[in-house]
Amino acid sequence: MVAPAVDGAALVRLEGVAKDYPKLSTGGDRLRTLAALLLRLRDLPHFTALDGIDLEVRRGESLGIVGENGAGKSTLLKIVAGVVRPTRGTARVLGRVGALLELGSGFHPDYTGRENIYLSSALMGLTRREARAKVGAIVDFADIGAHIDEPIKHYSSGMTVRLGFAVATALTPDVLITDEVLAVGDESFQKKCIQWLEQYLAGGGTLLLCSHSMYHVQTLCREALWIHHGRARLHGNAFDVTREYLTYHEEKRRAEEASGAPSAHGLRVESARIEKADGAEAARFDAGEDIVLQAIVHEPDDRAPVLMVGIVRADGTPVYGTHSNDTAFRPLRLEACRYAFRFHLKAPALIPGKYVIGAHALDAEGLRLFHSVKNEVVVTGQTRDYGLVRLEHQWLPGEEPAGR
Amino acid sequence: MTSVPERTPAAAQPRWTWLALSFARREITNRYAGSVSGLAWTLLHPLAQLAIYAFVFSQVFRVALPPEYAGAAYTTFVALALWPWIMFTEGVQRAMGSIGANAGLIRKVAFPHRLLVYAAVLASVAVHSVGFVAVIVVLKAMGEPLRLSALPLAFILLVPYMLLAAGLGAALAAFQTMLRDVEHAVGIVLAMVLYASPILYPASLVPASLHWWLEVNPVAWLSERMREVLIGGSGLVAGDLVAAAGCAAAFAAGLWVFNRISPHFEDFL
Repeated sequence: MVAPAVDGAALVRLEGVAKDYPKLSTGGDRLRTLAALLLRLRDLPHFTALDGIDLEVRRGESLGIVGENGAGKSTLLKIVAGVVRPTRGTARVLGRVGALLELGSGFHPDYTGRENIYLSSALMGLTRREARAKVGAIVDFADIGAHIDEPIKHYSSGMTVRLGFAVATALTPDVLITDEVLAVGDESFQKKCIQWLEQYLAGGGTLLLCSHSMYHVQTLCREALWIHHGRARLHGNAFDVTREYLTYHEEKRRAEEASGAPSAHGLRVESARIEKADGAEAARFDAGEDIVLQAIVHEPDDRAPVLMVGIVRADGTPVYGTHSNDTAFRPLRLEACRYAFRFHLKAPALIPGKYVIGAHALDAEGLRLFHSVKNEVVVTGQTRDYGLVRLEHQWLPGEEPAGR
Repeated sequence: MTSVPERTPAAAQPRWTWLALSFARREITNRYAGSVSGLAWTLLHPLAQLAIYAFVFSQVFRVALPPEYAGAAYTTFVALALWPWIMFTEGVQRAMGSIGANAGLIRKVAFPHRLLVYAAVLASVAVHSVGFVAVIVVLKAMGEPLRLSALPLAFILLVPYMLLAAGLGAALAAFQTMLRDVEHAVGIVLAMVLYASPILYPASLVPASLHWWLEVNPVAWLSERMREVLIGGSGLVAGDLVAAAGCAAAFAAGLWVFNRISPHFEDFL
């Protein structure tokens, strides 16, 4: 599918890359900038969107790029894609680059999907004959039925991104760059895209993914780069970087809460009830008995929220925590803005005692915590074990160590 | 410490000719997308202009044609210079607007931006060539003294003309991304050039003190040559080479300006 991996070939190499954007508030600024560009002067009023970025991505590697809005992620991807030329430093990219910088990038709204496939293929440097050979596969992958012969302007954003992804991937580029596009498609298409990306990576493809979904970064990328105010803040293992990034957000949120900034968003846990496996509401469970948490979350923007479940012992010792963003899970959308979650603890090994099960509502990106509802649960039974959970074990008669 | 930004071209050099043609085709179909009679408008628009000029200049101002065009009607005289002029102005103006019109593409996709300029000029040439040939054939059928056999030569003369359009269009497109005033100024200047060039009137009417202007104005030269070739049956002359060299130089200069600024288009769009 992709050219066989060449050992250690760096497909993308950025050295000290920086990008300044000119400040153009007055007509005089514009004239000065024009003159400076023609005469190759450099002292212009500007702001620096990206500075001192060193990056090397080898064939077969996958890099996730995380950071807050406006941190410079998109500028970085544009530099790699060749859309933006760095102001300072060098950017070297080898091989065919497929860039999906925004949904429907390069599509013309008045043209049908099919015509846009041809234009996009030409933009990627294909001849008409090559494009014709690919059209069938692209149409199949996009899977938007008869809409393919309708103008793009009548497409939903989901359909546009389907087509965009289909076009960008049909060429199996050496380097694929995607900027927050997976968030748009529906669940089945997202799965299809992720499947495709996993296959592409397994076949030696190289991926640069920019996403606010830590789940996508963790599943698809081995490494991650955290861009903060235009500079590389952390670069390394995807799990380490995303964890640090989430911690940063957590701290920032705490600081905001401490300063009394109200969370005006309105995302909240409408209800959270604890049930037995058969659906009966309960607060007492036998040791090892299934515990079910049923939660309904109200999300005013009608985007599927993330639910975090935390179990702590009555004295506050954390036992276990997990969130619904960890898998490709989608809650049930009851109606606009209302999402239902069911969290089933199978035969929990909790040691008898009193516990608190918290349901915490996070935004769709799983970044900000908005509201929590806590339920007390008593696990009954008799035990002489200590600690939080019972770990599977066995007692056996000992034996003389060998060699004595 | 500023190193020169560099970007090595992709290993597989894509074939851009096809892209330029796709842009040109899109340019043509876009222009009339949503209009019922489509391309018919491209013929009607210059025809209407021709009718107005023919009426004003031959009936009201009574422009007298010089003896070498004695057998030709004023309409024929104007048509031969008017269609190339329309190709030229439309080419310049569309090229100038091409960067702004494709801002979405430039912000998201890496490709040589100059292709948009070429496509705009190409589209204009393609559309108006059809009208040009049609009008010449119709006038010939009406008994005008036109040489259809000289058409290929006329189209060869169009090449430097359109190179000039592409060069001007490229430079103006680059300026236009930064200074939105450019397009307003260009509209006025083009209208002035139309009347300052022997398109609607013969060069022989221009006072001798202004003849230097006819010498340096490529539009004047090429307009006159169109008639000399298609009515007078003239072949290529040394002056054509000079005009071609001038137009080629203008093209190169325009492209130089364009290439200086084009890496920064994304900053301004």
